[in-house]
Amino acid sequence: MSNFEKVGEGYSLDLTLDEAQILINLVEQLLELLGEGDFFHHYDSSDPLAQLLAMPSEIVTPDDPVLLRLLPNAYADPEAASDFRRYTEPQLRGAKQKNLRLVREQLTVLVDENLGGVIEDIEADVWLKALNDLRIALSIRLEISETSFETFELLPDEDPQKPVYAVYFWLGWLQENLLELLL
Amino acid sequence: MVKTLPKEEVSISELVDRPWITIVWDDPVNLMNYVTHVLIKLFGFSKERAHELMMQVHNEGRAVVSSGTREEMERDVQRLHEHGLWATLQRDDKI
Repeated sequence: MSNFEKVGEGYSLDLTLDEAQILINLVEQLLELLGEGDFFHHYDSSDPLAQLLAMPSEIVTPDDPVLLRLLPNAYADPEAASDFRRYTEPQLRGAKQKNLRLVREQLTVLVDENLGGVIEDIEADVWLKALNDLRIALSIRLEISETSFETFELLPDEDPQKPVYAVYFWLGWLQENLLELLL
Repeated sequence: MVKTLPKEEVSISELVDRPWITIVWDDPVNLMNYVTHVLIKLFGFSKERAHELMMQVHNEGRAVVSSGTREEMERDVQRLHEHGLWATLQRDDKI
């Protein structure tokens, strides 16, 4: 069973190969959804000032419900929300990508060696945010509600959703495990 | 041409002084301990105060976690979004 541990001033994480592979697959899927690499070119800009500042003239509110939850509207008013998004969404997206990339980098070592093992030098903050974003992404796909744990327990083992729920609750357990070391 | 409004309908001080607030909304995903942790980290609340606000989000569906200028609240919302909390800002509707 995977576990975070406090080691001196830092933290480590012990994962089996299966666990590391599940995590890296989820991270890659979310990175793909967020858009890899230099994401500025995704945003079209015809405003000269915006071009000069490498700022998009407009950023469309995401259609994908996962992206809309990860990059939410800051205002109820659509116009204010759209203005805010234009100035801040690239930075928010970039911060999330950065956390996921760091997690992927640390997981890659385990997966490439085809072994489970201990990841040293866990940055608690980076992992907490990345695990949280992965849980949010899965929660939208699973339509998680307050009663989802009961739903999961009642699902027959052959239900194709069952392993997805299991991963979702495992991620929650993992995040709680790290939080308990911090609080 | 612009007609001047009667004096009693204009309140500059109301427009200037009414602060902006940051609201955190409940969702079925974020762990209670995580919300508490984020509130302590971002706003420097005591453990007790952060726990109290987290419980308010959980039980009442929302809680005001900060107030100030619009620019300050935009920064707070952005930092909360970086941590995956669902937050919005608005003018304080209590006068």
